[in-house]
Amino acid sequence: MSRVERTTRAGRTRPTGMTVATVIAGSVIFLLLAIPLAVQVITAFRGPFLPFGVSTARWSTENFVTLWGLRDDFWDVLGATAAFVGGSTVLSLLMAFGLAWVTVRTDAPFRRMISVLVIVPFIVPSIVKAQAYLLMLSPESGVLNQLLRLLPGDLVIDPYAFSTMVVIQSLTNVTFPYLMIVPILTGMDGSLEESARVSGASWGQTLRRVTLPMLWPGLLGVMVLTFILGLGSLEVPLLFGQESGKDIFALKLWTLISAGAGELPQYGLAAAWGCVFLVITTIAFVIYLRATRDAERRASISGKGFRPTTMKLGGWRIPVLLAILVFTMLTAVLPLFALLWSAITPYPLAFSFDALRTQTHFTAFGEVLADGEFWASLGRTLIIAGGSATIACGAATVLAYGIARSRATGWTRSMDLFASSSVAIPAVIAGFAMFLTFMVINPVIPLAGTIAALVIAYSYRVSIAYRAGFSATLQIRTELEEAALISGASRLEGFRRIVAPLLAPTVFAVWIQMFILGTNEFTLPAFLATPESRPLSVYMYAMINPRSAQLYAPDQGAAMALIFTLLVFAIGYGLQWLVSLRSIGRAARRGRVVDAATDALGTAAVAVEATDATDTRSVAAQQVAELTHR
Amino acid sequence: MTTHHMTAADGGGRLVVDALEKHYQLDGAEVPVVKGVSFTIEPGTFTSLLGPSGCGKTTTLRCVAGLETSDGGVISLDGKVLSTGTRHVSPDKRDVGMVFQNYAIWPHMSVFANAVFPLQVAAGRLPKKEARTRAMEALELVQLDAYAHRPATALSGGQQQRLALARALAHRPKLLLLDEPLSNLDAKLRDTMRNELRSLQQRLGITALYVTHDQSEALSMSDRVAVMNGGRIVQEAAPRDLYFAPADRFVADFVGRVNLIPAVVRDRDANGDALVEAFGTRLVTPCPVESGTGADVTVTFRPESVRWHAAPVDRPNLLPARVARVEFLGEIVEYEAEILDGATTVGRVIARGAPLNSPTEGSTVFLELAPQACRVLAA
Ligand SMILES: Nc1ncnc2c1ncn2[C@@H]1O[C@H](COP(=O)(O)OP(=O)(O)OP(=O)(O)O)[C@@H](O)[C@H]1O
Ligand SMILES: [Mg+2]
Repeated sequence: MSRVERTTRAGRTRPTGMTVATVIAGSVIFLLLAIPLAVQVITAFRGPFLPFGVSTARWSTENFVTLWGLRDDFWDVLGATAAFVGGSTVLSLLMAFGLAWVTVRTDAPFRRMISVLVIVPFIVPSIVKAQAYLLMLSPESGVLNQLLRLLPGDLVIDPYAFSTMVVIQSLTNVTFPYLMIVPILTGMDGSLEESARVSGASWGQTLRRVTLPMLWPGLLGVMVLTFILGLGSLEVPLLFGQESGKDIFALKLWTLISAGAGELPQYGLAAAWGCVFLVITTIAFVIYLRATRDAERRASISGKGFRPTTMKLGGWRIPVLLAILVFTMLTAVLPLFALLWSAITPYPLAFSFDALRTQTHFTAFGEVLADGEFWASLGRTLIIAGGSATIACGAATVLAYGIARSRATGWTRSMDLFASSSVAIPAVIAGFAMFLTFMVINPVIPLAGTIAALVIAYSYRVSIAYRAGFSATLQIRTELEEAALISGASRLEGFRRIVAPLLAPTVFAVWIQMFILGTNEFTLPAFLATPESRPLSVYMYAMINPRSAQLYAPDQGAAMALIFTLLVFAIGYGLQWLVSLRSIGRAARRGRVVDAATDALGTAAVAVEATDATDTRSVAAQQVAELTHR
Repeated sequence: MTTHHMTAADGGGRLVVDALEKHYQLDGAEVPVVKGVSFTIEPGTFTSLLGPSGCGKTTTLRCVAGLETSDGGVISLDGKVLSTGTRHVSPDKRDVGMVFQNYAIWPHMSVFANAVFPLQVAAGRLPKKEARTRAMEALELVQLDAYAHRPATALSGGQQQRLALARALAHRPKLLLLDEPLSNLDAKLRDTMRNELRSLQQRLGITALYVTHDQSEALSMSDRVAVMNGGRIVQEAAPRDLYFAPADRFVADFVGRVNLIPAVVRDRDANGDALVEAFGTRLVTPCPVESGTGADVTVTFRPESVRWHAAPVDRPNLLPARVARVEFLGEIVEYEAEILDGATTVGRVIARGAPLNSPTEGSTVFLELAPQACRVLAA
C-alpha cells in the first residue's frame, strides 16, 4: 500500500531527463533480447536456411513437420537432455547445499578456507574445467584413474559413460548454486530453528520440519536457475557427449548448424528445436518467479532479534572434513594438477616420478607467452567481457531505478518481467539466436563475426544486473532522496549524490561478476566468433581439440588454461580487493557469516545472487541497509 | 474460561543458575558478556531479568535454554544439571519452553501445526489424538482455538504473540523462558497481555524467567526481579524492595525515576538515621550504608514521595523552592523545582503529584522530603 503511494509521488515529480534515460535503457534491453528471439522464431517458420535475403526463404511450418517426423530422435534428445541436465542439477544442488550448510551453519574448522576453495572453480572457465576432467579421467594416463588403481578393486572410470558426464557437469556447475544458497541460509531467521529446538526437536527433526520447508521456495528458485544454466552450456556435452553417443540439446543445436562439407546448415530446423526448448525454459521461468515470490513472502515474517545459529558438529567433524577434502580434490586440486601435468608433458603420459624427472619440460608456457595470438585473444576477451559488463550494468541499473521508482502500470510491469527474463534463455539458444540475427542484418549492418557482435551477445545476461539493481533500489528508502530534495538539491543532484553512491557497491559487485562470467564464456563465442574475433576460451578449445589440425597443441592449451585462470583470478581478486577494502571488511567485522565467502570473488557473486534470488541480506544490501539506518 | 487439564499440578521446576559465565569471540579476542551471574527461581514463581540494552539478559536466557553454551558456572533445573562450563544438555532435552522476541512463528505451518509441533517431536512422543487434544488445550489457553486452521502468517502481531506462548506451553515444560515477548506490541495490547501472561503463569504454576528492559513490566509481573548491569546481577529482590530500597545508585536510577542528591554525612543517631548535609541544609534520612561522619554519600528519593506546601509547616526536611517547570502527563503532573538558599539556587528536584493539586509555574513553595522516603546510598 504505502509503497504504491510512495512510488506514485516519486513518479509524478521525476524529471523528464530521468524518464528519457529510463526509456532509452528500456529500449536497449528490449532490442537486445527481443530481436534475437524474434529472428529465431521467424527462422523456424521461414525455411531451411536464413529467413531473409535468400531464395529458399518463405513462410512454412516445414521445420516443425520435419521435427515431428524425426520424433524418435526428438524424444531421444529430450530424454537424454532431461537425464543429463536434471541429474546434474540435482547433484550439484545437493553438493552446494551441503557445502553452504557446512560453511554457514556449522562450526566446522577451516570454514573460511573451504568457502574460498569452493569459489575457485567459479573463476576457471568451464571449457578449461571440462578439458581438465577429460585429462583426469583418461583411462591410461588420467590422474584420477591412476589414483583409483591404488585402491583395492578394479575401479576405472570411463570418461565417456553417460553417468560420468552427469557428474562432471554437476561438478563444473556447483559454484553457481552454492553462491546462491549461501545468502539464503545466512538470511534465514535463526530463531525459527531455535524455537523448534527448544520445543524438543532434534537437529534432524528441525532440518526436516522447519528449515527445509522454510527454504524450499528459495531452493526451488536456485534449482530452476541451475537447470537453465545447465541446459544452456555447451562445454561438457561438446567434450564428452560426442563420444558418449548421447545427443544432448546443446550439442544437437551445435551440430545442426555446423554443416558438413557441401551442405547448407539447417538453421530453420535448429531454430525449431530452439523454440521447443524455449517453451520448456519459459515454464521453468514461471516456476522460478512463483518460487521467488513465495520466498519473499516467507522471508518477510521474520522480525528483529536476528541471530544466525551454528550447529556443533562434534563427532561429525572428521567425516564432514573428509567429504569436503574429496570435493576439493575433485573440483580444484586434481583438475589443476591434470592441467599442469598435461602442460609439462609432450604427450599423454601417466604420472610417475620417473616421468617427472625425465620427460617434463616447461617449454609450453614459454611458447604460449611468445604466441602473439594468445595475447591478441586475451586482449579481445578483456574488451568483450568488460564492454558487455558495462553495457549490461549501465542499462540495467538505470532501468531498474526507473521502474522501481515509478507507479506500477501495465507497461512497467511487463518491462520488469521482460528485463528479468534473460535468465530463462539458455546460453546456447541465446548464442544461436544472436548468430542468426547478425547473419540476417549483416547486409545492412555488417557486424557478424566482429568483436562488437560478441559484446552485444554477451550483454544478454542483463537480467542479473537488472534484478540486483532493482532490489538494491527498493532498499534505498525514498525518504533519503526526499531529504536531499528538501535540503535543496535537484532531482538529478539527489540521484547523483545520494542514490548513485548507495547503489554503487551493488553495481560494482555485479559488474565484477558479469566480467568474470564474460571471461569464462565459451558457449556464446562458440556460435559467434571467427578466428579474427575469437576470445581466449575459443582459441584454447582449438588447441585442445584434435580436429583443429594445425592448431592442435594440447600441452600449450593446458599451459594457456593455467595462465588464463591465474590472470582471471588476479584481475578478479584485484577488483574485489578494491571493494572489500570498504564494504566487505565492515560486514565481516559485524560477524556475519557471509564474511566466510568474502574472499576473492565470492562476495561479488554472493551479492548478486542474494539480490537475485530471495534474500536481500547480501553484503552490498547490508551496506545499503546500514547507510539507510544511520 | 473453561477448566483445563493444564493446572498448577503440572507445576514448575526450580531453576538454579550459579556463577554463569559467557564470552563471545570478537575479532579473535574474548569479550566477557555474562560475568558470574547467580540466581535461583523457586518453583512456580515469576522472575524477571531487568537491565539496560546490551547488559547480557538475552545471553543469560539463551544459556538457560541451551541455545548458547556457557563458558562457566552451573545451570540446573529441578536438580538435573543442564550446563556446566564444559558439558551441555542440548536444548531439546531441557524441558523448557521459550517465547522469542520476534515470536519465531513458523510461516510455512498453520496455527495448529505450530502449536502441536513440540508434542510431535518430543522424545516420548504422544499418540496422535492425545497430541491433538493437548495442542488445542494450549491454543484455548490463549484463546486461539478458533484460529487453529489458519495459516500462521494470517495472524495479527498480538495473536502471533499468543501463538508463540501456546507453543511454548504445549509440551508442559518445567520452565518458561520469555525474551521481551511484549516489546513488539503497542502500548494498550502490551498492558492486556501483561496481565494475561501473569495470570496464566500463576494458574499453571509454571516457573517463568522473563527478560525485559521495561521496568514497569518487570515490577508489575514478577515475584522477584534481578537487575543486571554490565554482565552482572546488581540486585535481586521483590519488586517493592527493589523500588523502595535500591541497593545502589544504578538500581535506583534504572528502576523508576529518582532524585540523586550529593550529600555529606554529618551525624548519625542510635537507630541508624543520619543527619546529612545537602542543598546547604541538614536532612534527616535512614542510613543503611556504613559510612562515618564526613563521608560523601548520595541521598535518593522518588519524585512522587515529595510533597509540597504553599506555606511553611512544622515538619522535618522542609526546603524552600521555586517551581521552574510543570509538565502535565495525564494521570500525574511532574514538576521541577529549584531549591533556594535565600535568593540563590542550590539544587534541583523532580517531583510528581496529582494533577488537580499541583503548584503553578514560577510560584515559591516548600517541599517536604519525608525522612522515611529518603535513602542514603554510597556516592
Ligand atoms: N554473537 C555475539 N558475538 C559477540 N558479541 C555478542 C554476540 N551476541 C551478543 N553480543 C554482545 O553481548 C552483549 C549482551 O548481549 P545481549 O543480547 O545478552 O544483551 P541484552 O541485555 O539482551 O540487550 P537488549 O536489551 O538490547 O536485548 C552485548 O554487548 C552484545 O553486543
Ligand atoms: Mg535482548
